[in-house]
Amino acid sequence: MARLPVAPADLVRLTAGAVALPYGLAALVVARDRGELTTYAGQSDFVAALAVTAGLALLAAGVVTSFAHRAGRIGDLALLAGWAWFAPFLAGWKGGPPLVLSLAGLAAGVTFPLLLHLVVASPGGLRSKGVRVLVVAVYVEAALSALGRALFRDPFFDASCWDNCTANVFLVRSLPRVAHGIQDVDLWFAAAAAAALATVCVWRLARASPPVRRTMWPILTGGFALAAVTIAHSVALDRMPLEDPSDPTFLSIFVIGCAAVIALALGLLWAVVGARVQRRSVARIVAQLGDAPTPGSLESALAKAIGDPELRIAYWLPASHGYVDARGRPAEEPIAASGRAVTPLVRGGRRVALVAHATGIAELEREIGPAVRLALENERLQAEILAQLHDLRESRTRIVETGDTERRRLERDLHDGAQQRLLALSYDLRVAGAASEGEGDFETASLLGQATGDAQIALAELRELAHGIHPAILTEAGLGPALATLAEAAPLAVEIGETPGERYPAQVETAAYFVVAEAIDDAARRGASYAAVGALRHEQRLVVKLEDDGSARTSAMIHVADRVGALGGRLEIEPTTLRAEIPCA
Amino acid sequence: MRVVVADDVMLTREGIVRLLEDAGVDVVAQAADAESLLREVRLKRPDTAIVDIRMPPTHSDEGLVAAQRIRTDHPEVGVLVLSQYVEPSYAMRLLEEYPERIGYLLKQRVFDGAVLIDALRRIDDGETVVDPTIVARVLGRRRRADPLAELTAREREVLGLVAEGLSNRAIAGRLFVTERTVEAHVKQVFLKLALDLNPESHRRVLAVLAYLRDERSS
Repeated sequence: MARLPVAPADLVRLTAGAVALPYGLAALVVARDRGELTTYAGQSDFVAALAVTAGLALLAAGVVTSFAHRAGRIGDLALLAGWAWFAPFLAGWKGGPPLVLSLAGLAAGVTFPLLLHLVVASPGGLRSKGVRVLVVAVYVEAALSALGRALFRDPFFDASCWDNCTANVFLVRSLPRVAHGIQDVDLWFAAAAAAALATVCVWRLARASPPVRRTMWPILTGGFALAAVTIAHSVALDRMPLEDPSDPTFLSIFVIGCAAVIALALGLLWAVVGARVQRRSVARIVAQLGDAPTPGSLESALAKAIGDPELRIAYWLPASHGYVDARGRPAEEPIAASGRAVTPLVRGGRRVALVAHATGIAELEREIGPAVRLALENERLQAEILAQLHDLRESRTRIVETGDTERRRLERDLHDGAQQRLLALSYDLRVAGAASEGEGDFETASLLGQATGDAQIALAELRELAHGIHPAILTEAGLGPALATLAEAAPLAVEIGETPGERYPAQVETAAYFVVAEAIDDAARRGASYAAVGALRHEQRLVVKLEDDGSARTSAMIHVADRVGALGGRLEIEPTTLRAEIPCA
Repeated sequence: MRVVVADDVMLTREGIVRLLEDAGVDVVAQAADAESLLREVRLKRPDTAIVDIRMPPTHSDEGLVAAQRIRTDHPEVGVLVLSQYVEPSYAMRLLEEYPERIGYLLKQRVFDGAVLIDALRRIDDGETVVDPTIVARVLGRRRRADPLAELTAREREVLGLVAEGLSNRAIAGRLFVTERTVEAHVKQVFLKLALDLNPESHRRVLAVLAYLRDERSS
C-alpha cells in the first residue's frame, strides 16, 4: 500500500481549511441576500467584509498553526472556532432549511468557548489547574445551554428573538420561561467567563518573561479585547433585550469583536513566524560559534537567540549519573519552578542535556535544530572531559592529602611510641649500668654503657627520621620556623629570604615545605654550595622561589610537580631556579 | 630543691622522678597535662617545673605555652622544658620573653642524672640552659661567607658554651681556665662578630642564638 505523503489528521485539517473557504463565502452570500437585517453581515459591506475576514483569518491561522506546531491543538481549536464563527450568518438565513437554521443557532453558542480555550491554551496547552477548570466550565455550560435551548426553546415564542425566529427542529416541548432563563444564565455566565479570561490575559502579560511577551502579546491583547467585548455584549443585552444588528451599540460591539478576533488570528500567525525567526537566529548564532567554542558559549548564544538571559544548560553525564555545567563543574538538576520550565534535549535517543528556560517558549525542543544539537553534543563531550579532569585533580589532591595525613600520623606514632620506648630503654640501661658499677661488676657496666650509647644513637636517628617524615614544627609554628630549621640542617648554605608571617592551610604549608626540602636535596645532589629561598604571598597565591649555584638540573622534580599540581598550582623549573605558585585562598 | 614534673607518658615521668629522688631532689607533685601542671605550680610553688613540650589534648606545644604561663604568673619558679625535637625556634621562643631561669633540653639527655641535676641547679641560680645539640645545630650551620671562620677554635668553643647558657665562671670551670681568660675570649668573640652587646647581660644567650640563626650571617 502506498503511503500517503500527509498524515490522515493533516489531511482532515487541510480539507477543513479548504472547505471552509466556500463555506464562509456561502455564509456571506446567505447573509447578504436581499439585504437581510437578521445578521450583522447584512448591515453594510464594511461589516460584512470585516466579519468574513475575521472568520477566514481564524481558519488560515488554524491551518498554519496546526502545521507549524504539530504537538499542540491550538491549530485545531482555531479551525473549529473559524467554522463556528460563520454559524450566526446561517442562523439568520431567512427562508433557509429549518435543520440548518436550528443547527447554526446551536453552533453559534460554542464560538466564545472555543475562542476562550484558544487564548488560554496558547502557546503550549493548558498549564495551570485554574485555567483548565475555566475551560471545562465554559464548555459544560455551553453544552447544557445548547441542550436546553434545543429541547425547550421555541423561537416563535421568544420575545427577544432576532435572527432565527421560525425553526427549531429539535423542540420537544415549548417552555418559553425556561428558554428565557437559559438565555439569562448564558448572558451572565459569558460575562463572568470573559472577566476570568481578561484577568488571565492581563496576568500572563504582566508575568511573562521578555521572550514570551514578545511572541504572546498579540494573542493576549486580542483575548483581552474579546473578553471586554463579551462583557459589553452581556451588559447591552441586559439593557436592551432585543438584539438589533442595526443598533449602533450592538453594531459597534460586533465590529470591535471582529477586530479582536482578527488580532487573535494574526497573533497566532505571529507566534508561528516568531518561532521560525527565533529558530533561524539560534542556528545562525550557533554557526557563528565556530569549531572550538569556549565552554559555556553555547549557553550564552542560546540565551541571546531566545532572548532569555536566565537560560541554563545542564549536561547529563551517564558515567557519574549527574549533571554538570559546560565547564564540567557539578550542577544541580534543573527543576521547573514558577516561570521556569525545563526541557530535556535528546539526541540519538539519548538524553544530552536539560535546558532551564522561561516558561512559554513554545516547543523549545523543536526550536533547537540539528546544528544546535550537534553543537550541544560537542559541548556535552567537552563538559564530560572537563568533569573528568576536575575529578582527576580532586583525586590527586586527595591522594596527596591522604599521604600528608599519613605522614603526620606516622611522625606522631614514632614520637609517642618507638621514641618513648627507646627513652625508657636507655633509662633502664643507665639504671642497670649504675647498679652494676655499684656491685663492682665493671665489665657488665661497660657493656651497659655501650648499650646506652647505642640507644642514644638510635634515638637521634629516629628523631631525624621522624622529622624527615613530617616536621612537627611546621604544624605548630608554620612555614617560616620550619624553613629556618630546614636551612640549619641542610648540607649546603641556605639563605632563607622573606617568609610569610601568617599561617596557611596545612596542605599549602606542607606543599611549600616539601617543595623547598626537595629542591634543596636536588641542589645538593647537583653540587650546589648555596641556595636562596623565598616564600611570599602574591594575591591569592603563595609563591615559593629557590635559586642555587649548582650545575644544571636534570631531574624533572616529579614529586614537587605532583604536590603543586594537586593543589591546582603551577611549577616553573629552570636549570638552577624553581618557582612554585600554590593557591592559598 | 622542690620540683614539679609534668609529662603525659607515665614511663618517662616516673623515670625522671626516680632520678630526681635518687639525687635527693624533692618532687612535690606530678602532672600528666598542662592544666594540672599549672594547678600544682600554683599550689606547691616549686623552685622549678620540669615540663614535657608535647602534652594533651592536642599533643603539640601545650608544654611550651604552659612554660610561658608559669614564667608570667610565677617569675620565681624556673622552668625546664623537655623535648624530643631539635628545634632552636622553640628554645628561642622561650628565651625571647623570659631569658632567665629557663631551660630547653632534649629528653634523651635527662636520663643522664648528672645532666638533669646540673641543669636544675643552673636554672635555680638564675641561668639559662640550652641543649648542646641545639647549639651544635646552629653553630654547625653551613654559611656562604662564614663570619665564624674568623674565630679561633677556643673562641668557637667559648661561643658554644655561651650559647648553651653557661656563665663565664661556669665556662671557666668547664675549660679549666680563669674567669678573666673567659671574659677576654667572650669580648673578642663579640668584637669579631660585631655583636653590639654588653657580654655580661643575661640576654647574651638569646643574642648569640639569634645571631647564629640569622640568615644574614650565613
